[in-house]
Amino acid sequence: MNIAAMVGMPGEALRVPRSQWRQSLIGAVGEAFRHHYDNNDFYRAQCEGVSPADITGYEDLHKIPLLPVGMFKQAGAHVLLTAGLAEIETEIRSTGTGGVPSVARRDPLTTTRASVGILGGYRDFFGISKGAGMFLCPSTAEVPEMGMVKVFNLMTAMLDDHRYLVRGYSFDAQEALDYLRGWEGRMTRHIIGPPFIVARFMRFLELESIPLTLDPESMIIMLGGWKQYTGRSISRDEFNAKAQRLLGVDPSRIRDMYGMIESNMLAIECEHHRKHVPPWCYVSIRDITDPAVELAPGKTGGIAILDALNTAYPGFLLSDDVGEVDESDCPCGRTGQTVRFRRRRQGAELGCCAVSIEKYLDENQLVAECELVDAAGRP
Amino acid sequence: MTMPRFSAEVIDHFTNPRSCGRLDAPDVAAFVGNPVCGDQILLTARVCDGAVAEVAFEAFGCSASLAVASILTERLSGMSLAGLAALDEDRIVDWSGGLAPDQRHVATLGADVAHRLARNYRDGVIDDSPVSAG
Repeated sequence: MNIAAMVGMPGEALRVPRSQWRQSLIGAVGEAFRHHYDNNDFYRAQCEGVSPADITGYEDLHKIPLLPVGMFKQAGAHVLLTAGLAEIETEIRSTGTGGVPSVARRDPLTTTRASVGILGGYRDFFGISKGAGMFLCPSTAEVPEMGMVKVFNLMTAMLDDHRYLVRGYSFDAQEALDYLRGWEGRMTRHIIGPPFIVARFMRFLELESIPLTLDPESMIIMLGGWKQYTGRSISRDEFNAKAQRLLGVDPSRIRDMYGMIESNMLAIECEHHRKHVPPWCYVSIRDITDPAVELAPGKTGGIAILDALNTAYPGFLLSDDVGEVDESDCPCGRTGQTVRFRRRRQGAELGCCAVSIEKYLDENQLVAECELVDAAGRP
Repeated sequence: MTMPRFSAEVIDHFTNPRSCGRLDAPDVAAFVGNPVCGDQILLTARVCDGAVAEVAFEAFGCSASLAVASILTERLSGMSLAGLAALDEDRIVDWSGGLAPDQRHVATLGADVAHRLARNYRDGVIDDSPVSAG
């Protein structure tokens, strides 16, 4: 399968026999490596001792030199570009707790491939083509360059109606409930957002003892991580149990995703809660102390992603995330790799769009509560 | 024919940034950041006879903000502090060779940091920016 076929029909590409998946991956990643090696002076300078001729088999993929994702935050980020700025169409960013944004620049070909590929992934994993989506995040109009929101926004193409419920960095759970009730009996209702805002909504239902049962085909679709800016983690098992109890959504229809704005990898959970790496990406787990060493599937280490879609800059990235990769067959029938995120690398900032939203939500809530106290205290 | 997304001026300054870095022992430093989108510009400058004698930048964020910070170092050099204080967004858009609607916030950021530089010099303030590209 070539890259166009993978992007156009990711469902098929994820179900080919393992040997064919490997062959397609070597072809696509090898071609991408050659493109950047030939056209990016900075990247070629990082490739000491490795050239495209050295990448002939699956076991060679780990030899492709990686760029640390921290480079996307640096002022001299122009050196990362294989395409010139004149060819750049979109700039997507993510801001973590440190405040410095990571900016990923994509050219038209990369933007088209990523949009089509992600939409194809949504169709394959969720099978949604109608219904209403309650998005518990800001709209793209409010934060046009925020990666997480951009990825969520693609989902609106599959829905008949949708609303964004975080506005001006505040979230009104009652308003969200009103929308869900308004759609009741007319459309299948889905909830989409970062885990912590979905958890906030469920906490509201629980504290107010509000009964709410969504529809048999309703889904909860999430992205953004399970660790809050305060450092507190949300337990997935507790979350699933609560969603089943308070919203009537079966755990098999609660799906999380994993990705990073610098990459075109969006790993989507199947009904068995395994996050499938898209067919155009290879996830390589690296020894934390020596990133040149690739660890075997099942071992925990630094997550590196080799992304064949990107023509704007080399999508061969060493992330700040720690986790594992699994190459065993998934009961869902998909082949390839699945990835599991465990935590951020020690010393790395807690960084993603969801963390920023949560921080501002809390700050806004604090301001609102202070104003209430002030108003109450006035004579 | 479609309009290019970035002007020739922005492409030039993004690709070949001028006066990038921090001056040692500057007379004044001004930092402005957008807490939501994360764009940040830090200017450090030396002032002589009420005018900017030397200026350097550090910036993080979108391509237009990096380019505008570089453009500012060229344009502000030699400018009086009164001129800095009077700088408006339209002037920065003009210097940038035009900014697309979704890049206009960068002109605001540029004008804000120039105003802050003038104000900080008057008030004897040197901003210590929180920027670090970790």
